[in-house]
Amino acid sequence: MADRVGNRGYVTYALRRAAQAVVVILLAYVLTFVVISVLPGDPVTTTLRNPQSGFTEEQIARIVSYYGLDQPVLVQLWHSLSRFLTGDLGVSLRTNLPVSHLVAEVVPSTLVLAASALAIAVVLAFTIAFGVQYLPRPFGPALRAFPSLFLSVPTFLIGLLLIQLFSFQLGLFRVIDSDSGLATFFAALTLGIFVSAQIAEVLIANLDQEARQEYAGVARSRGLGQVQLLLRHLLKPSALPVVTVLALMVGEVLGGSVITEAIFGRAGVGSLVQRSVSTQDLPVLQAVVTLAAVVFVVVNLVADLVYPLLDPRVRLLAGQRRSTARPEPGVPEPGVAAR
Amino acid sequence: MAPQDRLTTTTLTRHPLPAPGVAPTDGPHPAALLRVEGLSVAYGGDEVVSGVGFTVAAGASLALIGESGSGKSTIARALLRLLPAGVGRASGRVEFDGREVLGLPERHFRPLRGRTLGFVPQDPNSSLNPVRTIGMQAQEAARLVEGIDAGERTDLVLETFAQVGLTDPRRAYDAYPHELSGGMLQRVLIGLAVLPRPSLLVADEPTSALDVTIQKRILDLLSGLRESLGISLLLITHDLAIAAERAESLIVLKDGVVQEAGPTASVFARPTSAYARQLHADVPALNPDRYADLRAVGATRAADPSTPVKIEVRGVTKTFGTDGNRITAVNGVSFAVPAGTTHALVGESGSGKTTAIRLLLGLEQPDVGRIVVAGEELHGRSHASLRGVRRHLQLVYQNPFTSLDPTWRVERLVREPLDRFAIGDKRERSQLVRAALESVGLGEHLLSRKPSALSGGQRQRVAIARALVVRPDVIVLDEPTSALDVSVQADIVDVLLRLQAELGLTYVFVSHDLALVRQLAHTVSVMERGRIVEHGTVTQIFDDPQEQYTRTLLDSIPVGAGSAS
Amino acid sequence: MTLSAVARTAPAPAGSRRARRRSARRIPPSVLLSVLVLIVVVAWSVAPGLFTSQDPVNGIPADLFRPPSAAHWFGTDQIGRDVFSRVVHGTASSVTSALVAVAIGLVVGGLIGLLSGFLGGIVDATLARFVDVLLAIPSFLMAVVVVSALGFETINAAIATGVSAVAVFARVMRSEVLKTRSAVFVEAALVLGGSRWHVLLRHVLPNASRSVLQLAVLQFGLSILTIASLAFLGYGDPPPASDWGLLVSIGKDYPLAPWLVWAPAFVTILTVLSLNRISRWLRKTA
Repeated sequence: MADRVGNRGYVTYALRRAAQAVVVILLAYVLTFVVISVLPGDPVTTTLRNPQSGFTEEQIARIVSYYGLDQPVLVQLWHSLSRFLTGDLGVSLRTNLPVSHLVAEVVPSTLVLAASALAIAVVLAFTIAFGVQYLPRPFGPALRAFPSLFLSVPTFLIGLLLIQLFSFQLGLFRVIDSDSGLATFFAALTLGIFVSAQIAEVLIANLDQEARQEYAGVARSRGLGQVQLLLRHLLKPSALPVVTVLALMVGEVLGGSVITEAIFGRAGVGSLVQRSVSTQDLPVLQAVVTLAAVVFVVVNLVADLVYPLLDPRVRLLAGQRRSTARPEPGVPEPGVAAR
Repeated sequence: MAPQDRLTTTTLTRHPLPAPGVAPTDGPHPAALLRVEGLSVAYGGDEVVSGVGFTVAAGASLALIGESGSGKSTIARALLRLLPAGVGRASGRVEFDGREVLGLPERHFRPLRGRTLGFVPQDPNSSLNPVRTIGMQAQEAARLVEGIDAGERTDLVLETFAQVGLTDPRRAYDAYPHELSGGMLQRVLIGLAVLPRPSLLVADEPTSALDVTIQKRILDLLSGLRESLGISLLLITHDLAIAAERAESLIVLKDGVVQEAGPTASVFARPTSAYARQLHADVPALNPDRYADLRAVGATRAADPSTPVKIEVRGVTKTFGTDGNRITAVNGVSFAVPAGTTHALVGESGSGKTTAIRLLLGLEQPDVGRIVVAGEELHGRSHASLRGVRRHLQLVYQNPFTSLDPTWRVERLVREPLDRFAIGDKRERSQLVRAALESVGLGEHLLSRKPSALSGGQRQRVAIARALVVRPDVIVLDEPTSALDVSVQADIVDVLLRLQAELGLTYVFVSHDLALVRQLAHTVSVMERGRIVEHGTVTQIFDDPQEQYTRTLLDSIPVGAGSAS
Repeated sequence: MTLSAVARTAPAPAGSRRARRRSARRIPPSVLLSVLVLIVVVAWSVAPGLFTSQDPVNGIPADLFRPPSAAHWFGTDQIGRDVFSRVVHGTASSVTSALVAVAIGLVVGGLIGLLSGFLGGIVDATLARFVDVLLAIPSFLMAVVVVSALGFETINAAIATGVSAVAVFARVMRSEVLKTRSAVFVEAALVLGGSRWHVLLRHVLPNASRSVLQLAVLQFGLSILTIASLAFLGYGDPPPASDWGLLVSIGKDYPLAPWLVWAPAFVTILTVLSLNRISRWLRKTA
């Protein structure tokens, strides 16, 4: 009976969250468009008029009117948005290729980088958190400083350090040869360290908090040892919020790819962003930012939908509030600024 | 400030049930199962338990009694060696079955936990892992029993669940903790503790988070199991009456030091230490007439037919929730309170008493019915005119730890209502604040403190001063002492009754504690599931209850077995 | 009357509570050290001339690539400028831009969160979607887009960083306001005749400010890193400006003079670490 009510609540919850996600994606597109449109000057025509582009005045006029660039911003937005809804991301101003084509070219590389970075971050975070709990003094307590330290080091510095050490000194990989597994590993490590620090912070705080809960003491009074207590009792409630945090970290990884790809000389979404910024290739910039928002929103939607299935406490509440699937207020909010 | 002890034991109107815990056993207990000598526990540099010693014989029961900060729970944790790691340090000697265990390496001590030392925790709602099923956690206890396979373990768990009075053991086994009530969870926890058949059960305030009627049933269960399984019991409680009812000998603790120890009969009936005597005097159930003189003032008013009616609640109903899931929190509730008297609303959790007073304060709107306070209709008013009524109608909350803004100082807290209602000029306000604090027995030196620098009793006095400072006619008291120790409660009750006698205040007093109600109220409404099931004067309700539910409530008051003669 | 008299709500023994309160009042040495670091950093940005007399812009051609020494604490760079002097003179820009970023995030995000949490209903629903949108665009990408729209200057990088931090402040402020708004003492204030505005200004804001302050300190550190990253990519003021991120970016081209990277990096890490430490301490003592 309770389960049936729960399921109905869950379906309502899922549908509402999905609808919200669609709205958020559309608004993200609009917001990006608005921000890009306040750009001073007229970079579009500047780019087109660049002698190197080889367009004639007539061609430029046709292009400008084709894209409606002579129209008011709101009208442009309307056209752009309707094209976006049909799946058309427009044409790059720099290369004159379809934006979807350009993006599709670089997405796999960044996807591999981002996924490896998240995987490395999770492994690192759990290693640190377990170390904090179970390594003897002074090693365990000393590990507590690690997340804070990782959060204080700029990503670009980690990248430079890794390259200096493993590429220049030890010659393990070449920076130019970006497709090699080792190069990808070190790039992912660069990106993953900052993320691991945020996950480790949440995990350490949760393990501490759960270990202080009444039930932990009561479980020990049933003869459980430290390791059994951790594995059977503390791990699940501590690790559950990590699902949510990990989903939020997708944004960190996508943003961080700009820096990491620049340092490791990788072709990817991040370097495409950097190139589009320097050439003022607005359709590409618009497309990449929107795509990142789509990935973020979809991953977080999945996380929010999965969470109630994992945590029995929120299953029945799922229909009521979105915030139930979020980490408790006591859990440190992950800082969202990236480098 | 506490009134003179009234130790002449009072005649109670009903005879307490024979408590199994004190049932005479065969002769003196042979060997000490647990012997504690010179036990001290320190957190950081603070010693919270100093040189405590006692013994528990096999099959015997001992209660540790004390208020908060007495170190009683710390002793329990020290015995189980579950003190917070790295912070708490225990020293002294703890012998279990003749074997010193305090200095044992954790490796050697761990097998004792669960198998020989069982533990029943204080708050059942937080004592089971919320994300694992009860069955999975019960298996941990069953694994301590040697020589049985997985199937037998499950059978044993289900059998134990039935033994502790869970009507549907299978359902409890499959449930997550949040799906069961507090009473059921405590049965589960007791079951898990006794399942491996330990020789000693340490129960840390096992009922203080439960309703009174459930409290009695759980204590009966513990006593019954103790007897049938021959387990010794170390009961830790703040309630002298419970201790006396359930244990053969008592130890009274204060600030980590033993004040008095001995067989229940002597410690309870003839306490020799000042603190034990004080504690005895402060337990409402043992001293129903403690405030008879002060209460008489209001009783005269209540008996006088010419006393005007201050509060009238008529046929009030309030329903919460939406279509599929409606709960009628208050159902056709009516009562009237004469000016200058105390009316008590009594009930367990979920009885609707809190909703009733929220309606009375205009914090909720009733679906049906009317409420008249001091001749003024309370509902259907504008915000501004409701404010006017509220000036005469103040509230003291249950928990003084949440009802005072932690960022404000005492002076500002007490002055807030004066500022809001724009009463007097700056100088007058300051005088009124001081006067209000004085009337609740707080000195001026507290004016610049923040709530975190006050004790619970001081905070609740500040809350009362805040309610008093605008000179209201009516004060609604929502379990004002249930978060406080009995000695603090006694002080607060004394303050409230004096103020009523002097200022002619009308109180609506909400409580689950019938013994306390008897001490201070004039009329009583007993609530159950949103309805008033019985209504009358204190004498009528306590001496001649008509309803079964009222009788159950009255029977649940612990009074200390056999001591009231 | 003893320290505290809760029978039911306080499982922790009085002793540990007392100990905790005492330790909260005493400031740990690592926090004192962090404060000291920040004082030095602030002094550098207010009066760089007091700490170094060497020219941060014009180098001495005879002094190229000198490793750290007593004369040049952080060595010299490719055109013979004293790196210590460059770092000290770059502090003002690095620190004030981070301050601007935090101020934008705090004011805009705080206001959104406050209105959202306090007014509730349709306002909350609308603002919540807006914050979701800000959150959905990865913050560093957002910063890059904003800075490219505004132009490559450090102040614009600061504004961009601030915009990307709005969502975090809004969320924390909202949850703090909701928590306080449902507190018993707020209802008590209403019963005592307080108006909604009174409750908002006198109760909700002071109680929420602690968490928001702690977040602001944390974001200060993160903003330094974000702005350094933008400068590293060349989205800040161009040389001869000497923002910390820019110094690292230029220094990385001279791998044989590693101090060009390590000196500004060390100062950045130390500053951010100090801010993180203080933020953590504020959280613990809240």
